[in-house]
Amino acid sequence: MPGEPPFNVDQPASRSLEPGREFAVEVSALSKTFASGVFGSNRKRVLEDVTFRVVRGQALGVIGPNGAGKTTLVKLLLTVVRPSSGKIRIFGENPENPRVRRRIGYLPERLALPASATPMQHLTSLARIRRLADGPFDAERQLARVTMTADAHRRMGPFSKGMKQRVGLAAALLGAPDLLVLDEPTDGLDPIGRAEFRDIVYEEKRRGATVILNSHLLAEAAKICDEVAVLFGGTVAAQGNIRELCTSKTRFRARFTANSPEPAILNAGFVRADDPGTFIFNTEELETLNAALDRSRAAGALLMELGPELRDLEDVLREAVGR
Amino acid sequence: MIVTFILAAEVLREALRRRWILALGVAITLFLVLTFGALRLEVVDGALSATRLFGRNVDVNIRSIDIALRPVFKASAYLIFYGGITFGTITCAEFAPKLLSPGRIEHLLSQPVRRSEIIVGTFLGVWALASGAMLYAAVGFAVILSAKTGVSITGPVVAALLSSLAWAAIYSVMLATSAWVRSTALSATVGLGVLIGGVIAGHRSALLQLFAPGLGRAFFSFVSLLLPKISALAEVTGKLAGSEPVPVASVLVLIAGFLVFSLAGLLVAVVCFERKDF
Repeated sequence: MPGEPPFNVDQPASRSLEPGREFAVEVSALSKTFASGVFGSNRKRVLEDVTFRVVRGQALGVIGPNGAGKTTLVKLLLTVVRPSSGKIRIFGENPENPRVRRRIGYLPERLALPASATPMQHLTSLARIRRLADGPFDAERQLARVTMTADAHRRMGPFSKGMKQRVGLAAALLGAPDLLVLDEPTDGLDPIGRAEFRDIVYEEKRRGATVILNSHLLAEAAKICDEVAVLFGGTVAAQGNIRELCTSKTRFRARFTANSPEPAILNAGFVRADDPGTFIFNTEELETLNAALDRSRAAGALLMELGPELRDLEDVLREAVGR
Repeated sequence: MIVTFILAAEVLREALRRRWILALGVAITLFLVLTFGALRLEVVDGALSATRLFGRNVDVNIRSIDIALRPVFKASAYLIFYGGITFGTITCAEFAPKLLSPGRIEHLLSQPVRRSEIIVGTFLGVWALASGAMLYAAVGFAVILSAKTGVSITGPVVAALLSSLAWAAIYSVMLATSAWVRSTALSATVGLGVLIGGVIAGHRSALLQLFAPGLGRAFFSFVSLLLPKISALAEVTGKLAGSEPVPVASVLVLIAGFLVFSLAGLLVAVVCFERKDF
C-alpha cells in the first residue's frame, strides 16, 4: 500500500539507545580477499573496508544482492573465515576467544545436520560442547519453542528443509546467547513458520539479545530489524535506522481535500500519485516545497496531510546499488 | 583441554549412532562366533601339546603349546594388526571430511572451541573408535584361543594395541589430508598409501641394498626414513604373540618413532586447519 510504513510499527521496542552505549559488535576497516588457484595466484576481494557497529539489544539486517559478501561478513564475525585486514570486536573482545563465542548463537545459511542423530541428541551434544549446565532441559525447551517437540526423538535424515531449519534455530538459541547471528534463517520455512520465527526473534530481542540478520527477504528484515546495512560490491553502500533510510529526503507526499483544484496543484509542481487526492513533490529544498504549497493553497487547495515519502527497503537497496 | 575430550566423545557418540558402525560390530561378533565354532584345537595333557587344528594334525611331538601353536598365534596377531589398520583406514576415512562439510563446520567453528581442539578431538574420537573395534575383535579372538587351548593368550590383544599405535600414525596423515582437501576418497587413498609405504619402509635396510648408489637410492632412503615402519612393528607383534624374544630397546625406539610421526601428522593437520577459511 502506498504510504504505508514498510516496517512493522508494532514490533517490540528494543532497548532504548543511550549515547555512548556499549556495542555488541564493532567492525572496522574489515577486508577479506580469498586466494585460489596454484599458490593462491587467483585473488578475489570479497569485502573491502567494511565498518559498522551494532548497539547491544538492537537488530541489524544485512541486506544486499547475491555475491555482495553478506555470508562472508557473517562468517568473519564467527571466525569461520579469517579477515585479511581490519578488526572485529564482539562484546569488546576478539571473537577468536572461545569465551566470546559462548555468547553467540549462530544459524548458518547452509545447515548440515548429522543425519543419524535426533534433534534432541544434536542439541544435547551442542550443549555439552558449549558446556551448558542445564543442557538437556534447555534443548527440550528450545525444541518446544520451534515446535519440534513431536519430532525431537526422530532421526534427522529424512527431515524436510523447514524442519532442519527449525532444529538449526533451536541450536542457535541454546544457552540464551547474547548475540544471535542468523544467516537466511527463514529459508525453507512456510509462512506460518516465518511468523513463528519472527515471534522468537522478538522474544529474544525483548530478552536483550542483539540480532544480526542476513536475509534476502527485505520485508522480513524490515519487520525485525532496527537498522540495516546494505552491502554491495563488498562495501557498505548504506547503513542506518530503517525508518530513516526508508524516509525520503527528496520526495514528499501531500494529500489535499477532494474539492481542491487539481490543475492548480499540478501547476504548483506536484505530480499525481496513485491515491486520489494525493500528490508527490520532488525537491531537496524545503523552501521550494513550501512555496509550491503556498501556490496551491492560494489557488484554493486545502492540505490535509503532508509528509516525506516512505519507501520500502527494496527502493533503498536499489538506490544504494544504483540499479 | 576438556573441550578436546568432549569433542572426542561427541565424535564417538555420533559414530556409534551410525547404523553401519553398529552393523560392523555385529559382523565382528558373528565372525568371532563362527571362528569359535569352526576352530578345533585339541590340547592333550593341559598346556603341553596341541595336536589338531581345524580337525587336522598339526604336530605329533609333545611340545609346549606356545611353540606348537606359534604359527596360529602369529597368524592371528598379523590378522588383527593388518586387519585393524585396514579396517580403520577404510571405515574411518569419511569422518573428518564429513565433519568439515559445508554447513557443519561453520556451525562447529562458531561454537566456543579452538580449531586445534576440533582437530585433536576428532583425532582422539576416531582413534578411540578404531582402537575399540580392534580391541573388541582382539579380545574376542584371545578369549576363543584361550578357551580352546586352556592357556591364557594375550597375543591378539598386544597386536591390537600395537595396531592402534600404527593406525594413529596413519590417521594423523589422513586427518592432515582432510584438513587440506576435504575428500573421503583422497583421505582413504593417502591412508592406504602410508600403510603400503610403511610396510616397505619396515624393510628399508634390506631394500636399500637392492638400489644402486645414486639419486634413486637417495630418494628411497629419504622417503622410507620419514615413513612409519609398519611392517617392523607388525613383526614385533608377531614375535610377541609367538612368544619369541624381541630386543626391548629397539622396540621402544620403534614405538617412539610412531608416536613422533603421529604427533607430527597431527601438528600438520592443526596448522592446515588453522589457516583455512570455510
